[in-house]
Amino acid sequence: MSLIAWDEKFSIGIASVDHEHRELIGLVNDAHDRLMRPGAKAAVADFLGEIYARISAHFALEEKLMRVERYDRYDEHKADHERLLDDIRDIMDDYEDERNFDENRFAERLRTWFTEHFRTHDARLHRHFG
Amino acid sequence: MVETLQHAGRRVFSLFENAFDAAFGPRLNPLFHLGALSFLFFWVVLASGVYLYIFFETSIDGAYRSVESLTHTQWYAGGIARSLHRYASDAMVIAVLLHLLREFTLDRYRGVRWYAWVTGVLLLWLLYASGIGGYWLAWDRLAQYIAVVTTEWLDWLPLFGESIARNFLNSTTVNDRFFSLLSFIHVSVPLFLLLGSWIHIVRISRARTNPPRPLAIGALLALVALAALRPALSQGPANLDTVVSTVSLDWFYLAAYPLIDIWSRGAVWALLAGGTLLLLLLPWLPRRREQPAATVHLANCNGCGRCFADCPYSAVILRPRSDGLPFETEAVVDASLCTACGICVGACPTATPFRRLAELIPGIDMPQLTVRAVRERTLAAAAPLTGTDRVIVYGCHGGPDLSILNGAGVAAVTLPCVAALPPSFIDFAISRHHADGVLLAGCKAGDCYQRLGIEWTEQRLQGRRDPYLRARVPAARVATCWAGPRGAAQVLRELAAFRARLRSLGPYRRDGETPPRSPVPNPEVGDVAYRVG
Repeated sequence: MSLIAWDEKFSIGIASVDHEHRELIGLVNDAHDRLMRPGAKAAVADFLGEIYARISAHFALEEKLMRVERYDRYDEHKADHERLLDDIRDIMDDYEDERNFDENRFAERLRTWFTEHFRTHDARLHRHFG
Repeated sequence: MVETLQHAGRRVFSLFENAFDAAFGPRLNPLFHLGALSFLFFWVVLASGVYLYIFFETSIDGAYRSVESLTHTQWYAGGIARSLHRYASDAMVIAVLLHLLREFTLDRYRGVRWYAWVTGVLLLWLLYASGIGGYWLAWDRLAQYIAVVTTEWLDWLPLFGESIARNFLNSTTVNDRFFSLLSFIHVSVPLFLLLGSWIHIVRISRARTNPPRPLAIGALLALVALAALRPALSQGPANLDTVVSTVSLDWFYLAAYPLIDIWSRGAVWALLAGGTLLLLLLPWLPRRREQPAATVHLANCNGCGRCFADCPYSAVILRPRSDGLPFETEAVVDASLCTACGICVGACPTATPFRRLAELIPGIDMPQLTVRAVRERTLAAAAPLTGTDRVIVYGCHGGPDLSILNGAGVAAVTLPCVAALPPSFIDFAISRHHADGVLLAGCKAGDCYQRLGIEWTEQRLQGRRDPYLRARVPAARVATCWAGPRGAAQVLRELAAFRARLRSLGPYRRDGETPPRSPVPNPEVGDVAYRVG
C-alpha cells in the first residue's frame, strides 16, 4: 500500500510544481515499498539520497516562482524549506546510524515530513499563485 | 614569451598586492578594484567637468581667461574642481593601465574573456582622446603645444581635405567656432567612453562598477588633498604668434608627444596603431584552449535558475522548456561565454553526493570534472585517512597547488573553482564520517580568478546564498583559506591550526546521537557503481 496517496488538495495549480509533487510522492512510496523487502537498508538509503536531491531542486523551483511572483511571505516560506531540508537530512542520518531500526516508525516519520511540506503551502500561497 | 611576461608581471604585482593587503586588508586592496576605481574616477571627472563647463567660455579670448578666473578667484570651488578634473583623469589612466596589465598577467584576457579585453583596448583611444581634448580647452601654452603637435600628427592621415594644422599657424587663423567644436568634442568623446565602458562589461554578470565605499572615500579624499596641496595651474596664455619652446607635460596623457617631435609623424602612427593592433590580437597569440563548456542534463533540470543566478559570465540563460516536461524553463549554456569554472554546478540543487539511486548526474555538470568524479575523488582521497583530524581540502586552479599537501595526511581534491563544490559535499564528508573537517583553499581573498567564486562560497557557507550549507554542519569543522597561488605556507599553517582544532573537538557526532558505528565500512566507499569510470 502506498504511504502517501495523491490528493487533489495537494495541487497548487502550477503544472511544474504539481508534476514534481507527484514525482516526489512516487519516490517516497517506492522507498516505503522497499522498506518491507529484503536488503532494505541500502536500497532505502539510496531512495533517501534521491529524495533529498529532488526535494532540494523542488524547493529551489518553488522559491524561484515565489520570487517571480513577489510572494510577500517569501522569507517565511524559504525558512520552512530550509528547515524541511534539515529534517530530511536528520532522517537520512538517523537511518544510516540507527542500530535498532523500526520500519514503521521510520515510515511514519517520512510521511509526516512530507505532508508537512504540503502544509506549508497555505491557502495564501494558493491564492497568490492562483 | 607570453607566459614569461605573465610570470614576471605576477611577481611584481604580488609584491604590491601583499603590501596593499597588509595596509588595507584584502577587501579594500585597490589593486583588486582597478576596474571599479576607473569608473569612480570617471564620475569624478564628469562631475567636476560639469561644474567647470558652467563657467567655461568657448572662445579664443575667453577660454584661458575663464579658466584662470575659475582657478584663482574661486579657488575653493572652481580651483578644486579643475584640479579634481585633472587629477582624477590622471588617476583614471593609471587605474586603467594597471587594470589592463593585471588582467594580462593573470591571464584573464584570452579564451571567452577576449571580448572585455578587445573592447577595453579600444576604449584606451577614447580615454586618451578625452583627456588630450581637455588639455586643449584650457588654451594655455601647453594647449597650444598640444594643438600644434596633434593637428600636425593628424594631418599625416589622408582624412582631412585640407590641413587642420593650418588653423594654428598664427593668432588670426584660429576662430571661436573651432573652439566650440573642440568643446563639443570634449563633451561627446567622454560620453562615448562611458557607452563603451558599458559595452566593455556587458558580457559579465554583476560587474563591479563601484569600489567598496571605504576605498571610494579614501580615493576621493586623496584626490581632494592633492587638489588642495598642488592645484592644477595653466602654463601662461597661448600665443600662436610665438612658438612654445618649453612646456611641462602630463606624462600620463602626453607621453607620446615628444616622440612626435623626435620621430616622424608616420613612425608614431605606426607605433600606436601597431601597438593597438598587437594588443587587440593578444588574446589569440596564442589562443587559450578553454575546457569544454558546462552541459545541461534536462532530466535533472527543472529550470530553478540557480546556475543562471550564479554564473559570473552570463553564460547560463533560461529558455522555454524544450523537452515537453511541464516546467516553464530550462538552463542553456552559451559555450562561447563559458570559462568552465563550474560555479553553476556548485549552485545546482541536484548536484549532491548523497544521490545514489540513479547515476549521479546533476542538472548542469562540467564535462572535464563531473560531480560524480568529484565524489569519487573525494571518497578515494579520504579513504586512507585515519585519526580525529582527517581533513579533505578542496582547492582550485587559482589557489595554491595542492601537491604541497602530499604526505600531510590529508585528502586533496582540486576543482576549477572552489565555488564549483556544491555545499552538500561538505555535509556529506562530515556527516558520513569521511572526514572530521573540510578546508576550502582558493584564490587570494578579494581577487577570485573566476570573479565571484569566493563571494558565492562564503555566502553559501553562511546560509545567505543558495544552496545553503546546511546549518546542521558544525561551523568549527569547516574552514576557508583564501591564500592565492603563492599562499602555500599560509595554507599549511592554517591547515595545522584547523587540524589541532579538530583534534580538540574529537570525532564528529550529532547532538544527542550515539557515536557512529565506525567499524562498519561506509556504503559509499564500497559503492562499485561509482568507483568504476
